Amino acid sequence: MKLSKQEFLSLSGLGHETLVAWIEEEWLIPGGSFAEMSFSEIDIARARFIRDLKMDLGVNDEGVGVILNLVDQLHGMRRTLMELREVVRTTK
Amino acid sequence: MQQRDPYEILGVAPTAPAEEIQKAYRKLAKKLHPDLNPGNAEAEEKFKEIASAYGLVGDAEKRKKFDNGEIDAGGAERPPHSYYKDYASSERDHPYADNSGFADFMDSEDGFAELLRRSARAQANRRGHDLEFRLPIEFIDSIAGANKRLTLPDGGTLDVTIPPGIVEGQVLRLRGKGAPGSGKGGFGDALIEVEIKPDRFFTREGDDIHLELPVTLTEAVLGGRIKVPTPTGAVTMAVPKGSNTGTVLRLRGKGAPRHAGGHGDQLVKLKVILPKEPDPELEAFVSGWENGKTYNPREEVAT
Repeated sequence: MKLSKQEFLSLSGLGHETLVAWIEEEWLIPGGSFAEMSFSEIDIARARFIRDLKMDLGVNDEGVGVILNLVDQLHGMRRTLMELREVVRTTK
Repeated sequence: MQQRDPYEILGVAPTAPAEEIQKAYRKLAKKLHPDLNPGNAEAEEKFKEIASAYGLVGDAEKRKKFDNGEIDAGGAERPPHSYYKDYASSERDHPYADNSGFADFMDSEDGFAELLRRSARAQANRRGHDLEFRLPIEFIDSIAGANKRLTLPDGGTLDVTIPPGIVEGQVLRLRGKGAPGSGKGGFGDALIEVEIKPDRFFTREGDDIHLELPVTLTEAVLGGRIKVPTPTGAVTMAVPKGSNTGTVLRLRGKGAPRHAGGHGDQLVKLKVILPKEPDPELEAFVSGWENGKTYNPREEVAT
């Protein structure tokens, strides 16, 4: 599902300035060009995660970047682990 | 279901100041937030519990109401939503994907590295996703079939052939019209769910099509041949002498195509309609028509 910037803002509850700041930090990476960004469900879920980190957990901006980096590495490993499971299963 | 006490869930006294409640919540959330524990379903369940407890007593107004017994512990349950982890591990291509955490494993020369590389190759040649669309079509097109052009959200178009007799909710699969795959993986499919717009005149029941059709008094009394619309074009139908409002005539084979071959029927229900303007000649005739005065169509209706 592809979402426009307006749809993304209303679904995520973010303000425009916050969105621009988060994109500059590379916390969010929308598709398309800067003039015509496109978003998907993973961006909404990620924005909600960032908001939870900042608001609910009291993580500061430096910490958010560190956590996102580590969480993304963890997901990369989890995905590879799942794919390895497939390879092991099919080559038996 | 008996709800647990939110203070107990957060591990604070009911008299604890707001700062202490927030502190307790943060401490638990740091440990249990589902996105910090992907793969740990138990943490997710516990997190839901503390989040709803904090939603209640972490909000000054709701806390007051809860303490006064105006709302119960279920009063702040959050609607379930999906977490980042639900997408980040399962989706293959997204801008946040990061394999640097184990890149060094890939470079070694042992069997495990070989496995990893094989898996990476399989991933490199994966088929694209299927894409789902909805296509509203006219009733007539659903019976007769049609060629439609679907405009996609990204501005592209897709030519869709609607087979005759398609029903509401049926899904058409266009092979290779989905998202691009990676490497030699090829394209996914486009899945198009058909939505049939209601028609002003025709309705469908199974393979039969129903139509209510106005006829004149003359056509009803004397019979005649009239033109009847069908979804596949107009046909001529004989109205028998002495037809009435409610008389149903069957046009064989003019319904929707059947699965097993052949067609259903079109059922035409007649409705006798008098001229819109009062007609002096008709009035004069009916005044002199003796049978019309004695016949009582309401005989069987209790009055």
